[in-house]
Amino acid sequence: MKHVKTLNTHTMNNSLKKGGCGECQTSCQSACKTSCTVGNQTCEQKK
Amino acid sequence: MIHQYQNNGYNIVMDVVSGAVHVVDQVCYDVIAGICKSDEADGFEACKGLQEGPGITAETLKEPETFQKLAAELNGRYSEEEIGEALRDVIELTEAGQLFTEDTYECLIDEVKKRKTVVKALCLHIAHDCNLACRYCFAEEGEYHGRRALMSYEVGKKALDFLIASSGGRHNLEVDFFGGEPLMNWQVVKDLVAYGREQEKIHDKHFRFTLTTNGVLLNDEVQAFVNREMDNVVLSLDGRREVNDRMRPFRNGAGSYDLIVPKFQRLADSRGQERYYVRGTFTRENLDFAEDILHFADLGFKQMSIEPVVGDEDDPYAIRVSDLPAIMEEYDKLAKVMIEREKEGKGFNFFHFMIDLDGGPCVAKRLSGCGSGTEYLAVTPWGDLYPCHQFVGQEEFLMGNVDEGIVRPEIADDFRSCNVYSKEKCRDCFAKFYCSGGCMANAYHFHGTIHDTYEIGCEMQRKRVECAIMIKAALAE
Repeated sequence: MKHVKTLNTHTMNNSLKKGGCGECQTSCQSACKTSCTVGNQTCEQKK
Repeated sequence: MIHQYQNNGYNIVMDVVSGAVHVVDQVCYDVIAGICKSDEADGFEACKGLQEGPGITAETLKEPETFQKLAAELNGRYSEEEIGEALRDVIELTEAGQLFTEDTYECLIDEVKKRKTVVKALCLHIAHDCNLACRYCFAEEGEYHGRRALMSYEVGKKALDFLIASSGGRHNLEVDFFGGEPLMNWQVVKDLVAYGREQEKIHDKHFRFTLTTNGVLLNDEVQAFVNREMDNVVLSLDGRREVNDRMRPFRNGAGSYDLIVPKFQRLADSRGQERYYVRGTFTRENLDFAEDILHFADLGFKQMSIEPVVGDEDDPYAIRVSDLPAIMEEYDKLAKVMIEREKEGKGFNFFHFMIDLDGGPCVAKRLSGCGSGTEYLAVTPWGDLYPCHQFVGQEEFLMGNVDEGIVRPEIADDFRSCNVYSKEKCRDCFAKFYCSGGCMANAYHFHGTIHDTYEIGCEMQRKRVECAIMIKAALAE
């Protein structure tokens, strides 16, 4: 495409098919402890 | 739902529902804005995520009327050929499910509310005591609205037993040794790690231990143990010496920076600059907090986080609405410097700008939020269970204890029902699938209910998401 550069190859809604395995890190355990940072966690299945 | 913004010379378009992120040229940027404007003028608000009409689809975009409206709107700025070409790209993205994606998640929310949850993470309050007297401490210098206390080995063991018993089929279990200052009860930490290692073999689990420490009691023995056993270690430090020592003094008023920094540097190096964070808090007394982050980088740290303080409006150091413009500028400044440093081979990670556009959390995780009160609980030194560390000491949130387990399941039900669709303010927010509704403790603190949002925090979160994506755009060039 001439006008667009897309930054990601996967879209979030693809993950709907698999559902949540729940093995990923709890967000507040990572570093924050005072905010909510779900979006920067990594999917355990994709590690 | 579409969010588009310009930052550092990049035109960025986020398709909020699919998570697709596009960097576009100016004509395409204006074409997408024109489509959203026209939709809104027609009485629909698909771009805002408040879809009441038929939505925007590849078919509606292909209608001659769409092009005619855009040509009229953008007349004089672009030729019809340019507009037509950009529109064709927009249609292609829409057909690929990467633009104007319809929200199909809301219908799943009942499933999310009814889902059976297991406990997979505990925040163990190993010590309600601290050897520093940080001015902003939500734990009131470790005491959490209560008394000084250390967790006994027996209570800690019961907490780990409770976690194993409540974790269903989950394999990975997380335990954070938190305080107060956990190194003030170090032997119990070590004994609990040994107990956990023994139990994980019996029950086919894997414990991921983490430690959050102010570093005062950090020594070689602690460092060796931490490197052997802890998946992550969070090192509390606020940045420049004068900033740190103003907010993080010893109880006698002396600064803590000079004692702590060399220990943290040694620990970070000994872990290969991985699996740790130097974590600070910024307040309205250091709104130039990018300097503190760069100070961390100059000290050699590679993994860092600086969080905005959360305090009562009358606290002199609390962030106010009037501080937001300066904070936004500071995040922009930091983002630009991070790009420069990355390109110079001197890059570092800033926790709040970390974003994984391809490998981030699944939709189920984004819809279910941080997990407090359901998957994640805090345990006090005497074994009481609370939804998270920030609720400790607020008796209305006392959920049970390590002897009896959860005795007030209605509290967990309330937390389980809280999500981005249950909060009115989240509905038209583009960042909703990144913060998942925000911190419930902050919402409760400011509004007396977990089913609300902390607006100052939301503003900062939105900015951080924008900056994080802009950095991706810049580094993708």
